Amino acid sequence: MERVIRAYSSLIKKNLDKPELVKFLIRLGLEVAKLWVDYTGDKYVPESLRYLNSICFKFILEPLREPENSGFVNLLAPTEILHSMDIYPLFIEAYSSFTSGFYCEDILIDKATTEGISDTLCSYHKAFLGALEFSILPRLKFALTSSILCDGNSNTFRYIAKRYEIPYLIIDIPYEYSEESVSYVVSQLKEMISMIEAATQKRFDIDRLREIIRLENESKKYLRLYLEELKSHTMPNSISLEMYKLFVTHPYIGREETSKFFKLLAEDITKYPNSGYRVFWVHIMPYFSYPIQRYLNFNEDFNLIGCDLNFDYLEEMDERRPLEAIARKLILNVNNGSFKRKIDNIKKLIVDLRIDGVIHFCQWGCKQSFGGFMLLKKEIEKMGIPFLAIDGDAVDRRNNPEEQINTRLSAFFELLEQREKRW
Amino acid sequence: MVGYVCKYTPYLVIESFGEKAERIEPEVNNYEIANSLTHSNICSYAKLVLEDIIRREIDKVILTNCCDSIRRLYDILETLSFIRFLHIIDLPRKRDQRGRLLFKNEIIRLINRYEDFSGKGFDRIKFRSLLNSMTSSVERRYKDLNIVLIGSRCKDSLIKSVEESGGSILYNLTCTGSKPQYRPIGLTEDPIEAYANILLDSYPCIRMDDIKERLDIITGEKRIDGVIYHTVKFCDLYSYEYADIKDKINIPLLKVETDYTDTSEGQMRTRIQAFIEALRGRNNREKEFKNAKKKLIVAGIDSGSTSTNVVILDSDRKILGYSILPTGAKSLESAYKALEEALKMAKINIEDLSYIVATGYGRISISFANLEVTEITCHAKGAFFLNREIRTVIDIGGQDSKIIKIDRDGNVIDFVMNDKCSAGTGRFLENMSRVLEIPVERMGEESLDWKEDLEISSMCTVFAESEVISLIAKNKDRRDILHALNKSIVRRIVSFIERIEGESRYMMTGGVAKNIGVVRCLEERLGEKVIVPDEPQIVGALGSALIGLERLEG
Ligand code: SF4
Ligand code: SF4
Ligand code: SF4
Repeated sequence: MERVIRAYSSLIKKNLDKPELVKFLIRLGLEVAKLWVDYTGDKYVPESLRYLNSICFKFILEPLREPENSGFVNLLAPTEILHSMDIYPLFIEAYSSFTSGFYCEDILIDKATTEGISDTLCSYHKAFLGALEFSILPRLKFALTSSILCDGNSNTFRYIAKRYEIPYLIIDIPYEYSEESVSYVVSQLKEMISMIEAATQKRFDIDRLREIIRLENESKKYLRLYLEELKSHTMPNSISLEMYKLFVTHPYIGREETSKFFKLLAEDITKYPNSGYRVFWVHIMPYFSYPIQRYLNFNEDFNLIGCDLNFDYLEEMDERRPLEAIARKLILNVNNGSFKRKIDNIKKLIVDLRIDGVIHFCQWGCKQSFGGFMLLKKEIEKMGIPFLAIDGDAVDRRNNPEEQINTRLSAFFELLEQREKRW
Repeated sequence: MVGYVCKYTPYLVIESFGEKAERIEPEVNNYEIANSLTHSNICSYAKLVLEDIIRREIDKVILTNCCDSIRRLYDILETLSFIRFLHIIDLPRKRDQRGRLLFKNEIIRLINRYEDFSGKGFDRIKFRSLLNSMTSSVERRYKDLNIVLIGSRCKDSLIKSVEESGGSILYNLTCTGSKPQYRPIGLTEDPIEAYANILLDSYPCIRMDDIKERLDIITGEKRIDGVIYHTVKFCDLYSYEYADIKDKINIPLLKVETDYTDTSEGQMRTRIQAFIEALRGRNNREKEFKNAKKKLIVAGIDSGSTSTNVVILDSDRKILGYSILPTGAKSLESAYKALEEALKMAKINIEDLSYIVATGYGRISISFANLEVTEITCHAKGAFFLNREIRTVIDIGGQDSKIIKIDRDGNVIDFVMNDKCSAGTGRFLENMSRVLEIPVERMGEESLDWKEDLEISSMCTVFAESEVISLIAKNKDRRDILHALNKSIVRRIVSFIERIEGESRYMMTGGVAKNIGVVRCLEERLGEKVIVPDEPQIVGALGSALIGLERLEG
């Protein structure tokens, strides 16, 4: 399999001077991958997660198949509004992840830095900007981002919009929650709706948005159910699958497929026993890293219980006032504002999910997360929970010192094994 | 004293309480304490601020939620017990009605917090008169070399470097360089609202949403000779704007990155000087040499970080002598030694020299030279003298590397230098020679016999070293590992060449040019032969001697 992907990768790399061909190749690759996932499912993987894998490919393919009906977004953009207008989001972090799945991230990243983009920028952004510079990204109708999570967003989206001459909007999310900050965000959401209406010639309908919020609430209901069961069950999991969950806990949460997935997930979990040590992951995962795969994929002794990014806002939303609800959701996201919010959320999850050990991934260039990792470490160690920080890169394979990661992980798991189970 | 970092900070509010407000400009040069509190890759400035606050025990701090690094700085400061007053201002990105209202409320929030903290009441009248006492007239003086400085915040030393090299800063548009436009506030006006507007209306930094006016000055002002774009290491925000404008404006543009400490200053100075030299021919101070002799013989000294090289040239441009010595702890001493050796070879005395030109990293310390010129200009000069077809010079030295593009007359058009790390330099090869237990001189020859095409993917020295170690552990053949190393160096060189769109023909100079393996790999990537002079290490010194001769000949 790897040989096939490598050959495909070098085909893409050789043809970068023919953007239309490369666009086609990338789409083709994803179409084939989707078929592969749909028809060769591994029986060991729970049904819900197989379904998840399949819908993620569907989601990423939609904007590639219908660029005239799609927009660029980031992980924390208010995509509910897009879903309500049947517009497809292309979320750039996912696109960049797929480029490393295709072994093409290196050449894209090098392109971006050759053009003057800082090499200390997060690789999710660099790979995407490289694809932009090679013109292998489809030209979608607009670019939309929120200002939270990291600095890269506002700059990357402004850059895309300028390069492709498409409308662009950054939703500036205030640091703290207040009535004024909600109305600041709501007025920007309205601006966003006008922008999308103008760019796509589609009409916004607030009742459709209410339906999306209803679906989102349904998904969240199952997600909370799953969380409850997760306290006493452990389900087969892998670092890739945990990353795929970001699709459904974020940009695609208002979709029907998503609520179907969460329903299946909440059912699946009850079928599995409780086994082994419970490991919790903070921040994203380099899904291609062999040492991490070896320790955390489908391992009954060390179970990957979850990743904090998938639990950043679980509250029910008020469907009667959908725009205010979206504004509230963005402002109160644990990744907005002070780092303490994130720490408290993780501490709560550790207790709720009876976690035995925490691994924090310091993504190359991600200042917002690694800037605070020492604070998190202190707090978690105060709880008596072992904490490991790993430096690496979830997109650029070259920034992952495998031997080092391997040694640190083995030492960490040895340490876990020597301890009494805590809960 | 209350410390702050951002120009949008409403610091006059604090001053109206009778408290001094000071923008933190860290003078510390290392991150010892900061590195134990956070990851070493957050913005260098933010790290130094943390270090400075702790060392100086600044107990009152106001930040804005400027960027990820500053937001985390706030979170870390929150845990330090000596800090008595800590506040973060939520700065809106949008300057529309709602953004303004939000910001006004932020100022009120600050006032309330400071009232609580200090036990004093806010005095509106005093505040208004303080606002009205601010003036913002800026006088612009055009000189013969007008430079615009733009990008992220920079230290005063950068500005000084520009001025000392003969440039004058017409506009300082860096994050903290420009001042807001103060205006008189009438009695009926709400001074807080007015202040919010004044601050928000100042020249927008990159964080603002609408930044069109940022470049208006550069594109609208006719008398700009050059633009210097400054970025802070590990701050990525400004690199977008640099990438965006670098091919669009037709004013010479130089990008400089600093880490806000003094350690990067030497390199920074060189680059700025070379840039300004390129802008206006040479602009160097000249000294009279006491012993001007009739027969014209000049010496060029290239004081590099690893080796000091000297060339002695007569007026027929014949090389009378040269030397290559390792640079010791003191560049001046090494320069003397190297000069003596070259004089010995030329069989002349120091009195026979009419002129001495110094170049290289240590050139400023060579006090006996008549002239100092940057190594960029010198390398271009030397390479072009050796072969007039050369358009791109690739100089890979011990600790730094540079690629210089020259035109058909031998003038520098563009150049890049490695400013971050030792990846792809001689130092890197030296490290690897230790790991692989092979003398540096033999590395090139041995690598030619490679069989298996291995990859070393990381460009970072530390990561690459661990890759090499794991290849050794896998029992890979040393020749193949060497070949992989060469390829990784060449990859880096080629990315530099691409950055300035280097053109054929290429000359490689510097110590690494002696490594035949690297040269072969480079030739393979470029698809043509690369010219390597007989003594690749003396090209810079040769260039500086040539410049000396030109000086004397008028
Ligand atoms: S990893 Fe960090 S820097 Fe990169 S996209 Fe995610 S939040 Fe932003
Ligand atoms: S970049 Fe802008 S927000 Fe940040 S410190 Fe500078 S002026 Fe303030
Ligand atoms: S230099 Fe950049 S990263 Fe550092 S404080 Fe300023 S804007 Fe933030």
